[in-house]
Parts: sequence; C-alpha cells; structure tokens
Amino acid sequence: MSARPARGVGRLRVAAAAALLLAVLAAVAGLAEALRHPRTIEPVPEPAAVEDPREEVVCDDVPQPRSGEPIVVDSGVLLDCPGRYDGRLVAYEGEVVGAVLERDDGSWVQLNDDPYAGELGPLPTHRQFRGGNAGIGVHLPPAVAGQIASVGAHDHRGDVLAVVGVYHQSDPRSGEVAIIRATGGEVVAAGAPIDHPPLEDRRLVGGLLAAAALGLLLAGRLRARR
Amino acid sequence: MLLRPGADDFRIVGLSVGRVLLGVSAAMVAPAVLGFALGEVNEAWGFVVGASLTGLFGQGLVLLCRTRATLTATHGLVSVAAAWLLAAWFGAVPLLLSGHYGGFLDAYFEAMSGFATIGQTLAQDLDHMARSVNLWRHLMQFMGGQGIIIIALTIFSSVGGAIGSLYLGEGREEKILPSVVSTARFIWKVALTYAVVGIAVLWAALLQAGLGPGLGLYHAFALFMAAFDTGGFAVQSTSVAFYRSVGVEVALWPVMLAGGFSFALHYQLWQGRGRELVANLESRVLAVTAGFVLAMMLSGLIAAGAFADASALLRHALFHVISAHTTTGLATVPGAVYVSAWGVLAPASIVLAMALGGMAGSTAGGIKALRVGLIVKGIRKDLRATLLPDSAVVVETYHLGSQRVLSGRKVTAAGTVLLLWVLLYAAGALLGLVYGYDLETALFDSVAAASSGGLSVGLVRPDMEVALKVVFIAQMLLGRLEFIAVFALLGYLVAILRGRT
Repeated sequence: MSARPARGVGRLRVAAAAALLLAVLAAVAGLAEALRHPRTIEPVPEPAAVEDPREEVVCDDVPQPRSGEPIVVDSGVLLDCPGRYDGRLVAYEGEVVGAVLERDDGSWVQLNDDPYAGELGPLPTHRQFRGGNAGIGVHLPPAVAGQIASVGAHDHRGDVLAVVGVYHQSDPRSGEVAIIRATGGEVVAAGAPIDHPPLEDRRLVGGLLAAAALGLLLAGRLRARR
Repeated sequence: MLLRPGADDFRIVGLSVGRVLLGVSAAMVAPAVLGFALGEVNEAWGFVVGASLTGLFGQGLVLLCRTRATLTATHGLVSVAAAWLLAAWFGAVPLLLSGHYGGFLDAYFEAMSGFATIGQTLAQDLDHMARSVNLWRHLMQFMGGQGIIIIALTIFSSVGGAIGSLYLGEGREEKILPSVVSTARFIWKVALTYAVVGIAVLWAALLQAGLGPGLGLYHAFALFMAAFDTGGFAVQSTSVAFYRSVGVEVALWPVMLAGGFSFALHYQLWQGRGRELVANLESRVLAVTAGFVLAMMLSGLIAAGAFADASALLRHALFHVISAHTTTGLATVPGAVYVSAWGVLAPASIVLAMALGGMAGSTAGGIKALRVGLIVKGIRKDLRATLLPDSAVVVETYHLGSQRVLSGRKVTAAGTVLLLWVLLYAAGALLGLVYGYDLETALFDSVAAASSGGLSVGLVRPDMEVALKVVFIAQMLLGRLEFIAVFALLGYLVAILRGRT
C-alpha cells in the first residue's frame, strides 16, 4: 500500500465497485455473444475433427489391396500409425488450403480431410463447430498441381484433390515428416468463393460504439487541457 | 499490520490498467484496417466493436481514476496482473466475433494464450480464418512479449524489498538502464532492428519456399512475431511444417534464440561486449541444458526409428530443441507424431526443454536458466563446504554482466521459485489425470501451458473440459507473470477483506 494517511475504502464501496466491474465485463461478453455470426444451417451433431487423445489408438494390420492398388487412407490413420503405412502406396483425398508452394520438382500442398473439407464445408459457410483442422502434406507432380484453381482460405473453399502416392513417415528426399509423395491425382470437387453476407447489426453497434468511444476520448482530452 | 487499500491505491491501479487498455484498443485498429482493405468486412467491424469497447472501458477508467498519487512497486504488480486479465478479456471480443471460437471462454483462452505468448490454440478451422483475425492473434503475442520485457526490467526490477526476496533469484534487482523510458526505448530499438532484419530474411526464405510476395510478407510478419516473442501461434494449422522448407526453419532459429535471450544480454552485446556471451552464467547454462536435451532427443528419435537419414533427424531435432527451450512452440511436424512415432524419450526431452525455458528478462517462460545456474552453483558451494576444513571460507561466484558473489539468499529464492514452477506444472497435469488423460499427455500440455512452451500432443483442443480450460488459463497467467504479480493481486484482495483502515 502507498504510504499515506488516508483511510482505506469501505468494504461496501469496494463490493459495489467490484459488482459493477463484473457486470460491465459480463455485458461486454454478452454483447460479443449477441453479435456473433448467425448459424446458416441447423446444428448437426457430428464428431469433432480432432480426436480425443483418451481414445485408444489401435494400429491394425494394414489392409492388403490387390497388387498395385493403393490403400484408401485418411489423415487420422496416417498420423496415428505412421510406421504401418510408411512406404505404402495410398489413396488420399482432401481440400487444398493455404497456398500451393511451387518448387523445381513439383509443388507442396496441405490437403485437409477434416469435416470442413467435406460436405459440411468451411466454417465460415455454416458456423457449425467441428474442432481444429486435420490433414496431410502432399508433394504433387507439376501436372497435378497445375489443375488447382482454388486454394482454401477465408474467402475461398479450396479444390478437393484426390491423390495416389507413397506415404513416408520421413521422406528420404526432402526430410519432411508424415507426407505423401503423389504420383498422380485429380481435382474431384472444384472450390468456390465463399460468400460473406454483411452483418448489419454488427455494423450498427460498431458504429455507435465507435462514436461513443471517440466522444469519450475527446472529452478526456478536453478535460485534460482544462 | 495489513492495511486496507485506500481510494488513491485503487485510482492509481485503475489509471494504469486504463492506459494499458487504451493501448490494446489502439492496437486493434491495425487488424481492422487490414480487414477493410482485404474485404473481410464483418471481421473488420468485429475489431471496431472490440476497439470501441476496450477504448470506452480504458478511457472510462482513466477519467474515473485521475490521481496525482505515485505508483509504487506493489501498485505496479497489481496493475500488471489486472491489466493482463482485462486485456485478454477485451482481446477476446474480436476473436469471438471472427466465428472461429466455440464460446467466450475459448476466445478468452486464445487471447490469454496470445498475450502470455503461449501459442496453444482453441481456434476452429484455422485454415479458413480471416487474415485480419490471424494478424490480431500474432499482434497479441507481440504486445504480450514486449510488454513482459518492459515489466520485467522496470516494475519487477524495482520491487526489491517491497515484495520480499522472491525475485532476487531472477537477478531482477539489476536494472540495465536507469529509467523506465530509457529501458523501453532500448527494448523497442532492439525489437525493431530484429524485426527489420528478421522479417526481410523470413520473407526471402518464404519466397524461396514458393509463397507469393504479398502472402509471403504477411506470413513473414506473423512468423517473426510468433518467433521473436516466443509465442508459437501460426498462420496455418500445421505451424511451420506448412512451408516444407529448410530455409524457413533455419531463418527462424536465430529469431527464436534472440527471443529466448535476456535483454540484459542483448544490451551487453549491443555495447560490443561479445565476450559476455561466453562468460554469462545464463548462456552457459543454456548451452549445457540445450546440449543435454538435444542428446536426449536424438537418442530417443534414433531408438524410435523416426527418421531414415541423419540430416532429417538433426534438422527436426534442432528445430524442436530451440523451439521448446526458448518456449516458442513452433513445430515442423504434426503434434500427433510426437506420440505415434517419436517414442517416449524424445517427447520427454521436449517437456524438459519447455519446463527449463529461456533466460530471465526475456520473452521466454519456464523456470529460467539463471535459476537453474544459481541452484547448481549453490549445490556446488555446499559440496565444497562439506569437503573442505571447517575453517575454510567458501566463496562461489558467477558472471552476469559483471562478476558477482553467490549469496545463500539468492539460492533460496531460486529454489523457492523452482518449487512454485514444479507445483504449477503438476497442477494442470493432475487435473488432466483426473479427467482420464494419460500422464504423458497431461504433463506435456500442462507444462506447455504454464511454461509458455505452447506445443501440444492433443489435450488442448476446442472440446477439452471447461475446468481444464480454466486451469490452463490460470497456469498461463501465473507462468507468464511468474507468480509475483498474481500473488500481489491476491494480496490486495486479502487486504480489502481483512485489512484495517
């Protein structure tokens, strides 16, 4: 405490101030909740994209397809059981997100196979929460990379690419971890721009709050000058 | 006798917090402008709402709490804890309005993770998040990282006898510059120099990796803030693995190391005293512990057969040792791989590195190299005293800017704080065990939250239990502010309830 002769503030006054503070903070959180994006479709109960770490992971024997046929996989089994699929020919499908990183010998892409890459679509199109993202890094030959027209981001749903290639727990050529070195592939679902309808209530509230905040700042300045 | 705080005590704390919140409000303007420029209009308005609410609250406090009273060390500590709690509250508003968080608690967790430079995330579908919102996540880390340095070198360093000996163990009684203003100026000079060089090098590496100029600059900016402030947030859900580039990873090494170095050491190097790097107790301890952790990780990865060739093994092991030891939290592999392919020893080495942390007076978290060094020196002193004749006078010295004599008080203080850290790490891990997570998972993510390490093996996810979210938020705050500011705030509450007028 500061070295001062002044008396301490009464408990009742402190309690009232604390209650007011909590009420203001609750109002801030409440207002933010009220101004959230509306859900565009009815809630659909579905499992989250990222697994619960308490679920036991069982790495069964890898299915044995006919000679030369790839094993159909998802990112979950490739990340949970990397040793089992190391060096195996796999077929994998996912949405291109982020960017296509072009290099001399091809391109690197991140292909997500989480619920946002599937029928449900990216979170900004529906606001149904399905957890974090899940996917695999894939090295594409130039011919396959050249087919990509749309990359997943806030304003775009990415192309969904089906690839066939060899999965590497650790890629001997690049040193990358848990990736597929694709030999072929094609776009199976074209991406598209994501529409973001303007949220009028947010604009209105934002405008009013901004005016109030600027007014208070100005009042503070004037008071300080005086 | 415990005195109840007076009106001036409340006013000065309110005034300080109000000014911090005005800064947070001003910082929200940058992502708002970016949002409008990129056509992310709803998100941009989210920032207008957030900035306005923060500004209203901050300015309200400034106007209500006008006082001429002088800020004491205790006021400073209470203000720091209150400001961190409230900055995260208001910082959560635009996050919630981005539509990528399940509720306000998740957004608050994310904001605290940002301001405390942790790097653990509860964002959903991060890969479709607006760039303006992602910028805000990284800006929070930058503000939190630079803020904690200023606090560590000004408020904490002035605490001294007001708080007791807890902080003597950190060597924070030593000011590197005479005033708050000169210290802040130096910190910003160093940060801006690193920023210009770091962003330029990262941008070049990202262009080489295949990103376009505009997107490359954006990623370089975000990566710099995540690495220099040892934050660990990333633009994409796959962290640094997204770039598939050795060049980007190598460019990040010195940035993360610079973040993990104390500003006192930066100051010495800035003055051209290169020898300090070799003589400094903290850099010596870090070299030894990083070497030990690297050996441990390499042994574990070799035993697990995680890599086919030596260069890949060394590349990923080195990156993770630097990232974990500086408590940055960036990763070059998916988190699931730590559990499924890296065996037991390698993840354990990551936990150890995060728990130890970087240097005192840096943006890094964890126990800190200085405390480890002081405790080891204290043990050595005791051993020598045991072995030498009773009449022998045992003196142990260490170098930290200058040569110093080790006192028992400093060793005790370092040991006390070490114990607090162990308890903090254990708290989250124990609750994780209660909820049925295995020990490795619970301990890994608990240490990552408390130490600001930020790496995760999957416990931290949007549908984790509410109690765990709350405890992890508390761990982040306690770890970031290293107990003392939070204790001071709690002490204030006790004084309100039980103090005399």
